[in-house]
Amino acid sequence: MRRMMAIAGIVWLEMLRKKDVYVLFILLAALLLSMVSLNVLGFGQISGYVKDLGLLSAWLLGWILTINISVRLLPQEHTRGTIFSLLAKPVSRREVLVGKWMGAWSVVCVAVLSFYLATWVVVLLRGGSFDAITLLQAFLLHITALAIVAAIGVAFSTRLNSDAAATLTYVVTGTTFILLPRIPALLVAEKGVRTTALLALYYALPHFELFDLRQRLVHGWGPSSWVILSRVMLYGTLMTGLFLLLAWLGYRHRRFSRGDLL
Amino acid sequence: MTAAIRTRGLGVTFPSRQGAVRALHNLDLTVEPGTVFGFLGPNGAGKTTAIQVLLGFIQATTGTAALFGEPVTESIARERIGYLTENPDTYTFLSGRELLTMTGRLFRMSGRQIRLRTGQLLEETGLTAVADRRIAGYSRGMRQRICMAQALMNDPDLLILDEPTGGLDPLGRMEVRRLIAARRAAGKTVFFSSHELSEVELVCDRVAILVGGELAAEGRVDELIRPGESLERYFIELATSKNRGKEQR
Repeated sequence: MRRMMAIAGIVWLEMLRKKDVYVLFILLAALLLSMVSLNVLGFGQISGYVKDLGLLSAWLLGWILTINISVRLLPQEHTRGTIFSLLAKPVSRREVLVGKWMGAWSVVCVAVLSFYLATWVVVLLRGGSFDAITLLQAFLLHITALAIVAAIGVAFSTRLNSDAAATLTYVVTGTTFILLPRIPALLVAEKGVRTTALLALYYALPHFELFDLRQRLVHGWGPSSWVILSRVMLYGTLMTGLFLLLAWLGYRHRRFSRGDLL
Repeated sequence: MTAAIRTRGLGVTFPSRQGAVRALHNLDLTVEPGTVFGFLGPNGAGKTTAIQVLLGFIQATTGTAALFGEPVTESIARERIGYLTENPDTYTFLSGRELLTMTGRLFRMSGRQIRLRTGQLLEETGLTAVADRRIAGYSRGMRQRICMAQALMNDPDLLILDEPTGGLDPLGRMEVRRLIAARRAAGKTVFFSSHELSEVELVCDRVAILVGGELAAEGRVDELIRPGESLERYFIELATSKNRGKEQR
C-alpha cells in the first residue's frame, strides 16, 4: 500500500507543480460565473435552475477532468523515460497501475468536492438550500462513478497513447451514460442475436445513471435509502475493480524498451 | 553463496514484420557477489536486452534469470538492486530531496531511514545546496548525480549500470569510476555494460563479451588477453571473427 501511496503522491505533486490545479480553478470560476449570470436571464429567484446547472457543470467538469488526468499518467511515464527507473524498483506493475489510478481519482475527488461546495454556496446565496444528507449521498455516488471512469481511462492508456485513450474513454463513457438506460426500450423491437448482444452490453458496461442523484437534489425528494446507496457503491467498486483488472491484464506483459523512445 | 546474477539459456526474440528478430540466444551467465563485472559487446549485441530482462522491463522468450536467487519476474528480485543508465530521465517537477524521499518510500524505508540516507547521499553527490530546487533546473551533470543517488538509495547489493559513461564529460566519467570503486570497497556487486573498453579494463574483475546476441567470451581480463595486448584489440578481433563466421554460415 505504501508503494501505491508513493506513486499516487507523485501524481499529486505533478498536478500541483505543472499548474494543472490552475485549470481546476478556472473551471470553478467558470462554474460560479455561469450560475451568477442566471440573473441576466431573469431566473435569479429560481434556485432550482441554479442547482440544476451547478450539478450538471460538476458532472461535466468532473468527467472531463477525470479522463484528461487518468489517460495520460501511464503514457507520459513511458515518453519521458521515468518508467524504467520506476520498474527497476521493487514495484510490481499492479502497484504502478493502482497507484496511478489512486492518484488520478483522489485529485478528481477533491476537485468535485470543490465544485459541490461552490454550487452549495451559490444556491445559499440565491436563497435556496440543499438537503445536506442528499447532497452527501450525491457526492459519494458521483465520486464512485468517477472511479469507474478513471479506471476505464487507465485501462485504455495501458496500450494506447494518451490522445487515443482519451478519445476512446470519452466515447465509451459518454455513450454508456446516454444510451445504456435506453436499451430495455430497444429490446422490445429486437429479436435473436441482436437481443443477446444488447443484453450483453447492458450487463457488461457500467450503468452510470445509477450514480446520478441530481434530480433528487433539484426537486428536493429527500435522501435515498442507505441500503440502496451502499449497493450502488458496491456495484461501482466492483466495476472499478473489473476495469483495473483489465488494465492489469493489458499491462503486466507489456514490453518496455528504451529503443521505443528513440 | 547465491549468485548476484544467474541466467540459464536466456533468449529473447522480438516479433517483427520481416520475421522474428533474435536479440539474445542461450545466454548462460553467473555473476558472483562482490565482483565488478563488465558486460561488453558491439552495438546491437544484446547487452541492453539482457539488462532489460534482468530488470523485468521485457520478458525472456526462453530460459531463466534470477537476481540473488529470486526470479526476475518477481518484484522482490529488485529489492537489493540499483539501476543507472546514461540517460538521467527522472521526474523533473520534483526536487532532488523529494525524488530521494519518494524512492525511499518505494523501498519501504522508514521516515527516519529516508531522512538519514537522503542527507548522506546528497552530501556524497555534492547536491546538498540544491536539494530543494526542482530537478528541471539542474544541469545534465547534476541530473546524472541525482540519478546516481537515487540508484544508491537502498544501498544496493547489486548495482546495474547500463552504459553509464555515455555522454559524460571526463569529470562525470571520473565520478562513475569513483562510484564503482566505492561499491567494490564496500563488498558490493557491480554489473557494468559499456563501450568504453579502457574504462572496463580499469575497473572490472571479470568481463563477458556478447556478439550477435550470443556469449562470445567470458573470464578474468588477464585470462582473456595475452600479455601486452589491450582489451580493445581482443574485443575487436573477437567481434570481427564472430561476425565473419556468421556471414560465412
